[in-house]
Amino acid sequence: MLINTVLMFLRELLPLCLLLATLLVWHRSVWRSFALYFVLPSVLMLSLISLKMVWISEQLDGLGLELLYSFLYLSCFVLLCLSALKAQWAPLSSAIAAACLFSISGSNLLLYTWLPTQTENTPADLVLGSALGVGIGVSIAVLWYYLLTELKQWRIHSFALLLSLLGARQVMMASAILIQSDWLPAGPQLWQTEQLLSEQSELGFFLQALMGYEATPSLFQVLLYLLCFAVLFWCCSLMEKKR
Amino acid sequence: MRSLRRYLVTVLIALFTLISFVAALQSYKQSAIRAEALFDQDLQILASSLSQQYQAGSEQELGLALQVWQKGELVYRSALAPQTSMSDAEGFSEHNFAGKRWRVFRQTPTDVLTVIVAQPLKQRQQLADEVITASIYPVVLSLPLQALLIWLVVSKALSPIKRFSAQLSSKKANDLSPVELDQVPAELDQMLKTTNQLFARLADAFEREKRFASDVAHELRTPLSVLQVNLHNASQQWQRSNISDPEGSMLALQTGVERMSALIEQIMLLNRTNPEHFQARTEQLDLAGLCRQVVADWYPQIEKKQQQIELLGLEHLSLKGDAFALRLLVSNLVGNASKYTQAGGSIQLELCIEQQHALLVVQDNGPGIAAEEYNRVFDRFYRIGGDRHQSGTLGSGLGLAIVRDIVVLHQGQIRLGASDFSSGLKVTVELPL
Repeated sequence: MLINTVLMFLRELLPLCLLLATLLVWHRSVWRSFALYFVLPSVLMLSLISLKMVWISEQLDGLGLELLYSFLYLSCFVLLCLSALKAQWAPLSSAIAAACLFSISGSNLLLYTWLPTQTENTPADLVLGSALGVGIGVSIAVLWYYLLTELKQWRIHSFALLLSLLGARQVMMASAILIQSDWLPAGPQLWQTEQLLSEQSELGFFLQALMGYEATPSLFQVLLYLLCFAVLFWCCSLMEKKR
Repeated sequence: MRSLRRYLVTVLIALFTLISFVAALQSYKQSAIRAEALFDQDLQILASSLSQQYQAGSEQELGLALQVWQKGELVYRSALAPQTSMSDAEGFSEHNFAGKRWRVFRQTPTDVLTVIVAQPLKQRQQLADEVITASIYPVVLSLPLQALLIWLVVSKALSPIKRFSAQLSSKKANDLSPVELDQVPAELDQMLKTTNQLFARLADAFEREKRFASDVAHELRTPLSVLQVNLHNASQQWQRSNISDPEGSMLALQTGVERMSALIEQIMLLNRTNPEHFQARTEQLDLAGLCRQVVADWYPQIEKKQQQIELLGLEHLSLKGDAFALRLLVSNLVGNASKYTQAGGSIQLELCIEQQHALLVVQDNGPGIAAEEYNRVFDRFYRIGGDRHQSGTLGSGLGLAIVRDIVVLHQGQIRLGASDFSSGLKVTVELPL
């Protein structure tokens, strides 16, 4: 169905678009080298994952792909922290962080597009759905870019805050996959906000892409999220102080 | 924002895309919900149409009419269907029965069996309208949102131009400092640079002009003073030596040099009081006291011409102004009145307050000025009748020009008119308190 294709593209592209827009605000003066650092590893990683997807998914009792995704999400967070700490490597490391997220989104979209069960989708549905999804994702990224440029000018810690939210979101995603794969204990559920703000609603969707909003998080996930947020925020504050 | 064009193009395209696509998705979702409800309703109608014949007296307003004919005999009909055939034409057609307009479909799958199904047209249109309306609503509702966002984006994009314009309009006449803006977009950059270059050139030109006029007048004043002294000495010597001067050459020479000295003094004063150059040092001062001082300064000449002078009105009038400039203003007006009024004439100064403004009125009973000359006398170097002024009085043609500059400097007004005496000129100066 058309709506499923749109939601699939949005779910995969929106977090990537938000991260790229945020990093472009950061590396505006060196955007050409940033783009180059992003494109090369992205293409390389996506090609490797696509070519070896079957082999990867068969590893570790069939959890290979999930664990690879978790690793890429965590790498994204670690690389963002490194970018904030080491100014000279910032464009390269943050571009690779975005490339990690691109590899996950790209391989998921390839899976969705070429999966045999998707033959129910007519080519028209796929083309129109992907155009709508990409259009909305890119539009939000453009508006996000200008909003962040404006915020950065007036609010000193706004950039650090938003980058930390995006970084902590990647850890939240990794933890969700690891809990599903039984690599992490699920733990007690801390709250239930599905009625208040559904993950399927437009706002829930956006918050999920921005800060990894979860309607039913576990205590472990919340603590991990807060810790990662604090670490990245501290790294960003250090970077701003150095400037 | 580095470029207004890039900002407007990217943000507006992003806004249009986002709002249009979200509206399209909402239309899709709403239409899908309505379509699903419609199909459910169709199922309900079909079920109730089939069950009506088993429920005595249950005639539904909305429902399908069904007839099954076998070998020309009606073997089944729903409650809403008539006894006669609803349609004789194969396929779709429209007919009236049971007081309604119906859309009818007749199918004959075999030679002996005919199935006829009918649905009220009104019901079909109502259902179609619901689906279409559901798909149109999000698009229509998104329009005001688009308009609001476009207004915000365009206002934001134009804000550097607004700031630039505000800085220019808030500049004082003598402020030629460069305009400074944060984050100048590419489109405005050249305009800002050109404007600042223009300001710099203008400031240089003013400075050069100011220095040139001042330097020239200053350089001329010294040799003229020497010339005046030498002429005086020569005149004394001629008198002692009894040298006759029947044609009055010495007197004419002395008069010429005096006139030139007065002209140079006036040029220097004009230069000093020009609103474009003058840096006013405003202070609270007593205009009445200042007028008394000026009258005292001019009194020897007034007495020499046996003229009457009186100062009427307020004894104290406090206002904010530049003491040097205002003294010069009163001095020029009193000096003009004395110079151009005949011996034995009258001069009157009056001070009062009117509508939060100080009024200084200087009038005399001299020959006055024709009304058509009122505007021209404020022009620099303009003298009525040229150098052959009928009064035969020395003048530079700069006195009233200086007065007008001082009035402009104090954001006041000056008016000329006929004197309250039988003849003469009345000058009214209005200065804000």
